[in-house]
Amino acid sequence: MFNVTKRSFIGLMAGVSMTLLTSGAMADDGDIVIGGSLPLTGVFAFAGVAIEAGMQDYISIVNEAGGIDGRKVRLAYEDTGYKVDQSVAVFNKLTSQEDIHLYYGDSTGFAKTIAPELARKQSMIMGGASFASELNDPEAFPYTFMAGPDYSEMFSILLEYIAKEKPGAKIVLVNSDSEFGRDPIEPARAKAAELGLNIVEEIITPPGSVDVSTEVLKLRRAQPDYTLFHGYILAPLPEFMTQAKELGLTTKFMGTFWSMDSSIWAGSGDVADGFMGVMPYRYYYDDAADAPMLDRIRAMRPEYQATGYMQGFVTAMLMVEASKRVIDAGDELNGATLKTALNTIKDFDTGGVIGVPISIPGNSIPVGRVYQYDSSAQKMLPVSDWISLQE
Amino acid sequence: MIIGTAKETYGADQALLTTRPQQVWMVILLASLLVAPFVFNAYWQYLACLVLINVVAATGLNILTGFTGQVSLGQAAFMAVGAYTVAWLDREAGTPFLVNILLGGGVAAAIGIVVGIPSLRVKGLYLAIATIAASFILHFIFAHWTSVTGGSSGINVSPARIFGIELLTYFQLYWLIMPVAVLMVLATANLFRTRIGRAFIAIRDRDISAEVLGIPLLRYKLMSFAIASFYAGIAGGMWAYFFRVVTPESFPFLTSIFLLAAIIVGGMGTIIGAVIGAIFMTLTPELLRYVVEWVSPWLPNAATLLSPVRTVVFGALIMGFLVFEPQGIAEIIQRIRRYFRVWPFKT
Repeated sequence: MFNVTKRSFIGLMAGVSMTLLTSGAMADDGDIVIGGSLPLTGVFAFAGVAIEAGMQDYISIVNEAGGIDGRKVRLAYEDTGYKVDQSVAVFNKLTSQEDIHLYYGDSTGFAKTIAPELARKQSMIMGGASFASELNDPEAFPYTFMAGPDYSEMFSILLEYIAKEKPGAKIVLVNSDSEFGRDPIEPARAKAAELGLNIVEEIITPPGSVDVSTEVLKLRRAQPDYTLFHGYILAPLPEFMTQAKELGLTTKFMGTFWSMDSSIWAGSGDVADGFMGVMPYRYYYDDAADAPMLDRIRAMRPEYQATGYMQGFVTAMLMVEASKRVIDAGDELNGATLKTALNTIKDFDTGGVIGVPISIPGNSIPVGRVYQYDSSAQKMLPVSDWISLQE
Repeated sequence: MIIGTAKETYGADQALLTTRPQQVWMVILLASLLVAPFVFNAYWQYLACLVLINVVAATGLNILTGFTGQVSLGQAAFMAVGAYTVAWLDREAGTPFLVNILLGGGVAAAIGIVVGIPSLRVKGLYLAIATIAASFILHFIFAHWTSVTGGSSGINVSPARIFGIELLTYFQLYWLIMPVAVLMVLATANLFRTRIGRAFIAIRDRDISAEVLGIPLLRYKLMSFAIASFYAGIAGGMWAYFFRVVTPESFPFLTSIFLLAAIIVGGMGTIIGAVIGAIFMTLTPELLRYVVEWVSPWLPNAATLLSPVRTVVFGALIMGFLVFEPQGIAEIIQRIRRYFRVWPFKT
């Protein structure tokens, strides 16, 4: 009995692997294909799923309007589990199966790993979920772009806001001890000095740390006006803010893009109230008059869409726009032509997803706005106008 | 049907491959390794390289855990040591890549000896915890010794170069990685025909008895750690040339568990076990992608909906093997061999 089970189990395995190995590749159908290494499982899955939805929605808007010069746009993507080796595997799988000129990468690690391959292939440009400052260097990463400000620019936007609100303010930086977390520290020091702001303490927390009591004590000693977090999604921010509140600290807490989704704060209750941060896109529920694209999104998806959705949406929009410009000019789609076309984007209207016309002179769009969380409405509400670092 | 293998010389007794079918299969395997990159597209070439790197690392861990009985969860950290050594040498000294990879293995081995010292006092789970602790210390060093490791943003590695040709494509890198992997596995097979290898097995089976038999535990346990770390270092060095950037996040703790799982699933204490285990652990999640792909014509957004299922299926497969085949996949291969050897009789 047991033997039969064992044998059939092995037989099943052999059968599955045989059939798997004999599958064929998809045919080239003239579509413009956007490839994607997307984190649909793992720690970053919440973003990956939202990004995919955002990209698909923009692509269907484009296809409904007839595609690009009659060619349909299609997203070919697979799950990476937010692991670099799997992201590279997906990249190789998709680029062997399809003719890909546009790609979405899921992490800084992947972007850095695949950069030499992009330079070798010279056939595509890549956007992605990473806003790493290191990638915002057209010399070192000629085929990479990001659909928003890099992490240093996000900090710069926050610091400009602070300098306006409270000149000479005392600031504490709290960063996670990871590549992601440490990214904007150096440039933030320089920017703060330039704006006459005073960074009184820099706290580095171990990745995944939950107990933050010693860090909160440091915060109490420093008595900052503003505390800037970076390198986290949510934890341990609510804990930090709860303990600071208990100690009677009046500091204002701020974060960057990936911790700015209002749905992740909804579970934290009152403690989240007043949390501020920088956001390059409008929120799903923003009913500004000059944002027709948001009306369109709400018509397509009646339920709330996370910030990752907007990120994917704008990334797809920029990819499509660059392709359009290349095709209109009668050029061939490749890394160089697409990047050049992307850099010609000037005062471009995103349909209000980003509140001001955007330009992409390099690898990033250094524009953002400061929002504040209102726990009673469970919404992020704007507290500043759009801040551009380009002027 | 093979009734028995009569060995008439000492040479025949010591041979790695004792039967004709074994020799034939080995020739087929080597031939397919040579032909593979010409048949594969970039995706499969990439996977082949990745599998071979994991084979080297898993084989090293198998020497330590499968053959010497010392549980280690630090193999990924030793891979990182190898990768960082290669990256540092590439940046600072510009030495040829083969030298870098060898030194990567050497440095990893040296650190492996230090990390192996607790094995003289503690065994089993306690040793596993000690190696975990060591890997966290190493991780801290990688993240904070900025002048050497480049801190959290790591070190970029320039392509390996041979006779002025840069090894850029997976096809080219395959010809670096495949021969090294074959040599390392062959060396392991040979190791267990020597006094050292036999001593490792004796220590695994009963360390006190081994000591009574005249095997100095200190020397041999540390030697086992050194060899395992050397393998990890070589694997890490090849990894560095393969991915071309090394950061503290390149070798997470999960990689150590991945490698331990590979040798358990493949079959601990057998040469083929580590090889098959590494292949299984690396390729199964990739092969499961095709299942998702097939369903996609009928199910829109199949990748989004089914990717979590893929992870669950992979986990369930590992559990399935542990329950139905605790000796690992290597045992299945043995059973298949027996079946054909005594055919038409029942095993």
